[in-house]
Order: sequence, then C-alpha cells, then structure tokens
Amino acid sequence: MTPKLRWTLVGVAAVAALAAGVYFGMERAGTPASPAQAGAALAGLALPDPAGKEQRLDQWRGKVVVVNFWATWCAPCREEMPEFIKAQQQHGAQGLQFVGIAVDQADKVEQFAKEIGLNYPTLIGGFGAMELSKSLGNKLMALPFTVVLDRKGEIVHTQLGELKPAKLQSIITQLL
Amino acid sequence: MGLLATSTGSAPKRTLSAAALALVLGSLAVGVASRADADPKLLPPQEAFRFSARALDDRTLEARFAVTDGYYLYRDKMRFALDPDMTDIAVTLPPGKVKEDQFFGKVETYRGEVVVRVPLAQAPGKSVVLVADSQGCADAGVCYPATRQKVTLALPEAGKGPGPLVDAYPRKKNWFN
Repeated sequence: MTPKLRWTLVGVAAVAALAAGVYFGMERAGTPASPAQAGAALAGLALPDPAGKEQRLDQWRGKVVVVNFWATWCAPCREEMPEFIKAQQQHGAQGLQFVGIAVDQADKVEQFAKEIGLNYPTLIGGFGAMELSKSLGNKLMALPFTVVLDRKGEIVHTQLGELKPAKLQSIITQLL
Repeated sequence: MGLLATSTGSAPKRTLSAAALALVLGSLAVGVASRADADPKLLPPQEAFRFSARALDDRTLEARFAVTDGYYLYRDKMRFALDPDMTDIAVTLPPGKVKEDQFFGKVETYRGEVVVRVPLAQAPGKSVVLVADSQGCADAGVCYPATRQKVTLALPEAGKGPGPLVDAYPRKKNWFN
C-alpha cells in the first residue's frame, strides 16, 4: 500500500465515522435541523389562543423567547410555571417573552391561567405541536418541554423536564 | 500507544493514529448533534406502562398494566374499548393512591401492577382487539400524553380458558437476556 493510498483510506474512514456520528447523533436527539432551521420552523408556527384567535410565534421575534410546552394534566409542568411568571415580570421590559403551548383543552387552560395569574400568552397546541417538539429534540413527546430562542430566533437551549430557576436565570442573563 | 499519538511514528502507527482520530471525531459529532439537554434516560410510555391482557373466558378479558418503578398512571385517564367499535367499556377500576392535586383536587394514581376485568357485552366472535388508553408521568418530572396500546386476543370456547397473556409491546431481546 502506497502512503498516498493509505491516507486516502484513512480520509474515507474519517469521513464515514464523522457521518455516522452525525447520523446517530441526530437520530438520538431527533433534531435533523440546524438551530436556525429549527427556530424558523417554530417561528412559522401559528396556533389558536384560548379565545380561538390564531397567533403566530414570529410576532415576538427580536425578543428572547421562551416557548414552554405544557398541560394542566401535567403536574411537573404546573409546578415550574410560577418561576416563569416571576421571570416574565422581572425581565419582560428587557425583552424576555414567555409563550406557553398547552397540549390541552382551551377551557382548562383558561381556568388554570386565571388561577395562577399567568402573565404571558399561552396557545393551544394539539398533536401537531407535539410533533414539532419532537423535531426539536423531544423524542418521547413528553412534558414539560421548553425551548429558548435568542433575539435572532435561533434555538439556544432545549429542556425536557423542569427548567431549573438557576439554569433559566443563567441562560436569559446571557441573552438579554 | 496513546489514543491521540502524534504523526512522528512509523507509517503503520500513523495509520492507526489517524483511524483513532477519525473515531474520536465521529464520537464528537454524536455529542454535537444531540442538543436536547439532560434526557434523564426516560422510557417510552409503552415500556414505562407495559400493557398486556388475556381472555379469562369467552365473555371476560383481564387487562394488566405493569408500571415500571419511578412511573405512575392516572386512574381517571384509563379507558378500554374494542377495536373497531371503540365505545368505552364500563369497568370497575381498583382504587389508586390518593394524591391531593392543587388544580384537580383528589387524584388517584397507580404504581406497580394494575389488573382490570373487562366484560364483553355481546358474543364478540373468535377474537377481539382490546384497546387501552392510559396516561401517566415519571417521578423524574415529566408527563406523557395519552398513550394507546392494543392486543389481539383469541377467545376460548364457552366453558374453557383462560387464554395466554399477550403483551402489547414485546420485550426487546438485547445482549443481556
């Protein structure tokens, strides 16, 4: 084997390993898109609010947007929401915008929003919204699932399960 | 030889080093591509809430959920029906563990094994497809949407039975069993 041939083979092996790594990595995370592409898919989403009016997610572009997939039947989802309300109150003026996507019935969502004094909009998402969360890395389509987008609309963080207050704080401090 | 030996060695050694580097690059790419944060090794709902059933006789089925440790099901979200009819079958669910929920009030949950008798109203023929809807959560702090699982059961002749237990989601064979 000539040195040239040897290095060609090594090169081929390297590319194959890299490709395999990317492929299996994507399969594991369920995210075939780049942060920009995934962010664009999310921004292009239009869902009804509890009153039935369609709302596009890109109306908040330019802000730091935290999209939280939740449901009233999901106790861990409800438990973290008071922290989101607090953060919205503290940092809303600096351009932080929480948006809920409830995989739930509108009447239950409205009732719960009133009960906890929700100070940010929440939209109603069905199975399509869950499928979207799957494409963003939530492969089991479980809740809560939270996505943080920077001011350019690129996804900078995804979180399955509770987004801990300290983590949330450190992410938004960097972005605001 | 270290995994990332430099290229000062002999030619075969260099080839090995480069191959090792390629492997490292490959595994790095795995890390880069998986952006979803801190997946706490959650089971898919069909594995967390394993559904199986058997025919006790020609008019009675027995449905079972084996709830994996660290997971729980909501009692009021459990439904049974026959495909393709899909009308809810009235069943007597065993009592669950009562939890006080801030929003819903008293909520009952199941852990471990749940066994439910499912009566069949009219003579359904030689076999039935039992459909079970369930919804539950993991103690790790996530909830699953409602999950539908099905089993096809051959019904025994009148006076005979019970039939074998049928799993909705057969256990995967892996290297350890």
